[in-house]
Amino acid sequence: MIQFLRNRRNLIIGALLCLVFIAAAIVSFFWTPYDVTTLDIANKLKKPALPYLFGTDHFGRDIFSMIMVGARTSIAVALVAVTIGMVVGVPLGLFAAANRGALFDELIMRGNDLIFAFPALLIAIMITAVFGPGALNAIIAIGIFNIPVFARLTRAAALSLWERDYILSARVAGKSRLRISAEHILPNLLNLLIVQGTIQFSLGVLAEAGLSYVGLGAQPPTPSWGRMLAESQTMFSFAPHLAIFPGLAIVLTVLGLNLFGDGLRDYFDPKLRHNRRSEAAVPLDELALLDSEKGRSIK
Amino acid sequence: MSLLTVKDLQVSIGGKSILQDIDLTVSRGRVLGIVGESGSGKSMTAYAIMRLLPDGSELSGEILFNDTDLAAASEEAMCQVRGRSIGMVFQEPMTALNPLHTIGDQIAETVRIHSKVGRAEALRITLDTLRRVELPPEEFPPSRYPHELSGGQRQRVVIAMAIALRPQLLIADEPTTALDVTTQAQLLSLLKRLVDTDQMALILISHDLAVIANTADDIAVMRNGVVVESGSTENIFNHMQHPYTVSLLKASGHVPEKLAAGVLADEPLLVVKDLVRDYRLPRKRFFDAVNYFRAVDNVSFTIKRGENVGLVGESGCGKSTLTRAILGLEETQGGTITLDGERIVAKSEMSLACRRKMQVVFQDPYGSFNPRHSVGRSVAEPLHALEDRPDRLAQQKAVQEVLERVGLNAADSKKYIHEFSGGQRQRIAIARALIIRPSLIILDEAVSALDVSIRAQILDLLVELAASDDIAYLFISHDLSVVRSFTQRLLVMKDGRIVEEGQTDVVFSRPQHPYTQSLIDAVPVVPTVFAQRE
Repeated sequence: MIQFLRNRRNLIIGALLCLVFIAAAIVSFFWTPYDVTTLDIANKLKKPALPYLFGTDHFGRDIFSMIMVGARTSIAVALVAVTIGMVVGVPLGLFAAANRGALFDELIMRGNDLIFAFPALLIAIMITAVFGPGALNAIIAIGIFNIPVFARLTRAAALSLWERDYILSARVAGKSRLRISAEHILPNLLNLLIVQGTIQFSLGVLAEAGLSYVGLGAQPPTPSWGRMLAESQTMFSFAPHLAIFPGLAIVLTVLGLNLFGDGLRDYFDPKLRHNRRSEAAVPLDELALLDSEKGRSIK
Repeated sequence: MSLLTVKDLQVSIGGKSILQDIDLTVSRGRVLGIVGESGSGKSMTAYAIMRLLPDGSELSGEILFNDTDLAAASEEAMCQVRGRSIGMVFQEPMTALNPLHTIGDQIAETVRIHSKVGRAEALRITLDTLRRVELPPEEFPPSRYPHELSGGQRQRVVIAMAIALRPQLLIADEPTTALDVTTQAQLLSLLKRLVDTDQMALILISHDLAVIANTADDIAVMRNGVVVESGSTENIFNHMQHPYTVSLLKASGHVPEKLAAGVLADEPLLVVKDLVRDYRLPRKRFFDAVNYFRAVDNVSFTIKRGENVGLVGESGCGKSTLTRAILGLEETQGGTITLDGERIVAKSEMSLACRRKMQVVFQDPYGSFNPRHSVGRSVAEPLHALEDRPDRLAQQKAVQEVLERVGLNAADSKKYIHEFSGGQRQRIAIARALIIRPSLIILDEAVSALDVSIRAQILDLLVELAASDDIAYLFISHDLSVVRSFTQRLLVMKDGRIVEEGQTDVVFSRPQHPYTQSLIDAVPVVPTVFAQRE
């Protein structure tokens, strides 16, 4: 059991960090130590000490409560954005791979290149310039940026799967390319997509913080980690806790998600499966596999 | 005095015993062949001698090499031994070389790691080594990259890397398994010559009894981590003791009972006429005219209902392209393919009725199944080609029936593919092909990846099924001995053309085309009675 934990240190630390922030976000719906919309000027700029665990800001709002509610914004924006990226990007990638080399494939992939050429922030500024700032527009901007990431990944991985023999047998059975994509290709891509999704999630948290920092994300009074940072910078010399706590929240969430993603990748990676199996002590099949693996490339 | 003596070698990994009481000896100038099926521990023995065992393994016993015990040697001492005193050649010539370095650099690297020689001297040794493996530097300058060489030439470079420092012992682990028969014959004779001229000892590991029989002076037969029989080659073949050796020999020369000739109805099933398949080559310069590579060049042949036709040829001859074209998976540039009177065309216009008459079994028992589908779901897949698809219950019943027909349990349909061995997986692949009762099954190297004893069982199964279901086979293989025992008619393919066609027996006894002749000559044959060798 200890061995098990040690081999998955990344996965477990990452999962714990993520859980802490998700829990904070969920709890904030029912309870926060103080109301984040009420101003309490009498208690402004308190140093971190009970009853204000992380101190208070220049309006006297409790920073701990604001971070809890801010987690809600960060997670919601990043999650929805990744979902948009997956829901649009994965089918596009599958479709492009199924029609490799066709006009449609070219169109999708060059369209992706076009989106890739714009930095996410630039798209966000463009969108807010047209529709005005707000959390929803941040979601759309980050989501659009996520589409080509998933489309490319899916296409590349699907192309290698299309060469497999079991895909050929499915084609011999007369199944359509669309059906093969859904039945054979997608389930075999899930591991990869979950891992990439986690990593895009962390990038989404960062992007949301960045957008809020420049004032294009969630608008006041909704608390947001990025905007807390932006507001604190003029007071950094005499109230550093205003910047440190939201900064830490962003760093730890991103770190947690990255560790979790890395851990998941190691867990799913067949090349590292070797280690996992030797724990279970089944080396005899391993040997058979070693031998047969060699016999495979006779073609 | 023997060069290498292995005494009571035991290896266990994670507490599980892998090798037990291995005793082997090799002397200089002699070849020791280790033969066994997959999982017999033959590769593990080689790794144990090199002390390249995976983590968590324990080794005991003695490995005396020039009177030093390698089993007790330190890792630093082993680094001196590996590559310098003991060279090693692996199976896969495609991955054994770094694609980014020239062959000269890769050979020189081995030289310079182990001996403190200058660049000029290393180059001299490299050129000399290339000459020794019969890649004359005039034709194969050391500035070539691996991708500019064929598989056989690459394997020569791998051997050159292993023998550059004139090691006393060379371990070759399945060095020719990935190669064509003619290349295999050339490489084996090269290895023998090197053993003679350098007075080197060679441990040759192979699953192929015929290869070992024709090359080795001494043989060790391994099974389940134990040497079941060992001795000189003559002794082994003339006075076989252990029942496993006997069964191995029997299986490798196994001849399934052929269908009686003459029962064939004279009705053509598959007619391929003037088939042409061109691949577009990438343009070298932007405004170049588009060039094509003709992979299948005006191929015509017929398979009658219930007939067993073999198709042989070396890698790159167009066998696989032809298969894909027949299966309607690739567009063709000319000619026609007709199955049971209906034209086969690529893409979806092909009717399901036509699809269901034809199935395929691939070579690789590990890659032909979706690892995420249950066996039952995989086997039921071809039922998709039926117009009136049976309901779930009927499908289940059909799957169970067909699994039982290929010698598996009906309950196996709930399991996943990783729970089965290579031979069982190939049975499942056959079950998948059988489930819609096709008239033609294309066997694309379907038994090549299997051990001889399992190969024999699968061949028997195929013949039995052909008799009961009136199935025709197109049997594609590079292994001529299997083709000879299994097929009635033979097509020989070279560079996209069919160069010879005829009754299998006739082609083997009186080959007309020089290429067929060279193929047949290159096949290693297990001698029935082993004559005293020189």
